[in-house]
Amino acid sequence: MADEDETKEYRWESGYEKTWEAIKEDDDGLLESNVADLVARAKRKRAALKATGAIQLGMMRHLFVVVDASACMFLQDLKPTRFLCVLKLLEVFVHEFFDLNPISQLGILTTKMKRSEQITVLAGNQKKHIEALQQLKDLSCEGEPSLQNSLERAMNGLKNMPAHSSREILVLFGSLTTCDPGDIQKTIKALKDNNIRVSIIGLAAEVRICREIAKKTGGTYNVLIDDHHLKELILSQVQPPAVAGSIEASLVKMGFPGGTPSVNDGTSDSSADHAPAYCLCHIDSETSSLMGPNGYNCPQCGSRYCELPVECKQCGLTLVSAPHLARSYHHLFPIKPFIERAQVPNTTHCFACAKLFVEAETNVYECENCHQIVCLDCDLFIRETLHTCPGCASDPVTAQMKTN
Amino acid sequence: MEDKEERIETSLVAIVIDATPAKKFASQPLDGSSMMNRIFDSLIAFGNAHLMQASHNKLAIIACNSKSTKFLYPSMDGNSRSYQNRPGQYDMFAKVDSDVRHGLGELILNDLTDNDSTKSDSLLGGAMARALCYIHRVQRELSLSHQLKPRVLVVSGSCDSALQYMTFMNVFFTAQKENVVIDCCMMDTDSGLLQQGCDITGGQYLHIPSVAGLLEYLLWVFLPSPSCRSKIVLPPPTKVDYRAACFCHHKLVDIGWVCSVCLSIFCKFSIMCTTCNTEFKLNRPAIVPAKSKKRARIE
Repeated sequence: MADEDETKEYRWESGYEKTWEAIKEDDDGLLESNVADLVARAKRKRAALKATGAIQLGMMRHLFVVVDASACMFLQDLKPTRFLCVLKLLEVFVHEFFDLNPISQLGILTTKMKRSEQITVLAGNQKKHIEALQQLKDLSCEGEPSLQNSLERAMNGLKNMPAHSSREILVLFGSLTTCDPGDIQKTIKALKDNNIRVSIIGLAAEVRICREIAKKTGGTYNVLIDDHHLKELILSQVQPPAVAGSIEASLVKMGFPGGTPSVNDGTSDSSADHAPAYCLCHIDSETSSLMGPNGYNCPQCGSRYCELPVECKQCGLTLVSAPHLARSYHHLFPIKPFIERAQVPNTTHCFACAKLFVEAETNVYECENCHQIVCLDCDLFIRETLHTCPGCASDPVTAQMKTN
Repeated sequence: MEDKEERIETSLVAIVIDATPAKKFASQPLDGSSMMNRIFDSLIAFGNAHLMQASHNKLAIIACNSKSTKFLYPSMDGNSRSYQNRPGQYDMFAKVDSDVRHGLGELILNDLTDNDSTKSDSLLGGAMARALCYIHRVQRELSLSHQLKPRVLVVSGSCDSALQYMTFMNVFFTAQKENVVIDCCMMDTDSGLLQQGCDITGGQYLHIPSVAGLLEYLLWVFLPSPSCRSKIVLPPPTKVDYRAACFCHHKLVDIGWVCSVCLSIFCKFSIMCTTCNTEFKLNRPAIVPAKSKKRARIE
């Protein structure tokens, strides 16, 4: 990425880009359909780039988010202040992150006054992180940030993580300077040796050292244009990154609690499994919850937990439920992009939503496997949210899963 | 005090009917008409009852069997078929009735005449995916003064299809994201997958003991919208089995080994993953050389 920038000219050096010519009025003099068309095209292009097939993705992620809390974050170029805007978007990020990567863990650090502080440890509990972010709103931003200190601290937390997980750091950097105690090149080398990917989102302008860190560790560096772009950049980090190939695969032992004892299985249901018990997740807090039969028992040691996924404090076994793993399966079986073609005279309705094709719709989309025709909106919905082609699922030949 | 900005709530029910002819039902005559006829009559009556609740309520009916899925209402046939309505009957009820019967007839005939020997389970996953696409379309087309409350009712008598697991899970997660509630009415057998789906989306799962009373169960349990279900005494939720099935034997496991690359589950530790063909590193603790014991000096 940086190579292209070095050989290309800067934007002001190349000729004018007449962006207004891309938008044309249609016959009635209205712009809406044209704009909607352009937006849809851009979406399709982005979605098509993503569906590149079976790349190895890092599913179990350990991610540290470093938030810059230095004096420059009080600037109001993002409303209400940069810091508050970033915190609000991070809440959305945390929610989406655990939605899409249920077995991953997240930790939050801040950097200010030339030091870095840990706000939350690496944990898989969504609520704790969101609460911590809400409490951060009262933090005063002062001093100068220290890139090296925060990276070192994050690295200490990630070093001990198992080798099969994808180790990442996301830095939200708003300052143009950094105040480091030592040589940052050594830190970069250590990050690289530990297989840690650092991605940085700049809030002000492009800083060369950030570009270098991102490039050397295999991460991305982007500088935002406005707050919508910031939201897009942050949310793009939610998707699991492609693995560089140096991550070792291993079999991780996991427990699946929450089974109902059925007669066929032969598993014994002792009355202790459903007796009211204190749950281990709240045992440290003052308000320990006494739970009824609802709750999950660790299959290895029998301790009770309120919700999954969780790492058992007693025996160290990771407890998940089958839907948590299934959430990530759609990355492994992506759908091929649909072929765009002009309207076919035989099909009058979209296969997925039964919408009648009107004359104004010029393009319809066909699936390669099942040859069913869908409209543009269904194409986007299938690609972004559903991750299953309804045509392939409605055909007895293609409906069966290929991998068994 | 009425809120002036209150939006009109439009409730959309998408009924997904599994029309796979179970031999048990097709051959069991009851009062002259077969069981299958009674089931479809009940479903049409339920659909019309929903439309009767409010004038802007919407309905969609999709049927499936082991060969294909089909939109029964709104019908995808371009030509408007003439339908006879009894005097005084609301036009839409007659249309629903006529479209559903005609569509079901076509679907079942297709099944009988098609001699393709690919054996497949009932294509419920595909039908539910089409229902979600339809809900998404209606949501986009609805004007801003209306607020859509969508739900899907699955009426089925077939067992789980393990090979369609991916489709089902994708549908459930999409429904959860789009705030669509999935209810399930099971005749004859239990379905673990649909139980999970109802639990994930916050819907109602019911296993009917007797199929003859289908209409009664539908009207009692599934007609009220999710927002008023808390005020009604409904059948208690079943405890869902969230254990995963191992990929090698399809047995439910309590503790399993998960491949870190492709997340496939195995019941025993093995050297290679059969799904993604990656070799695993054996995590053996480092062998510490035995220290030579120094003889303690006795003084």
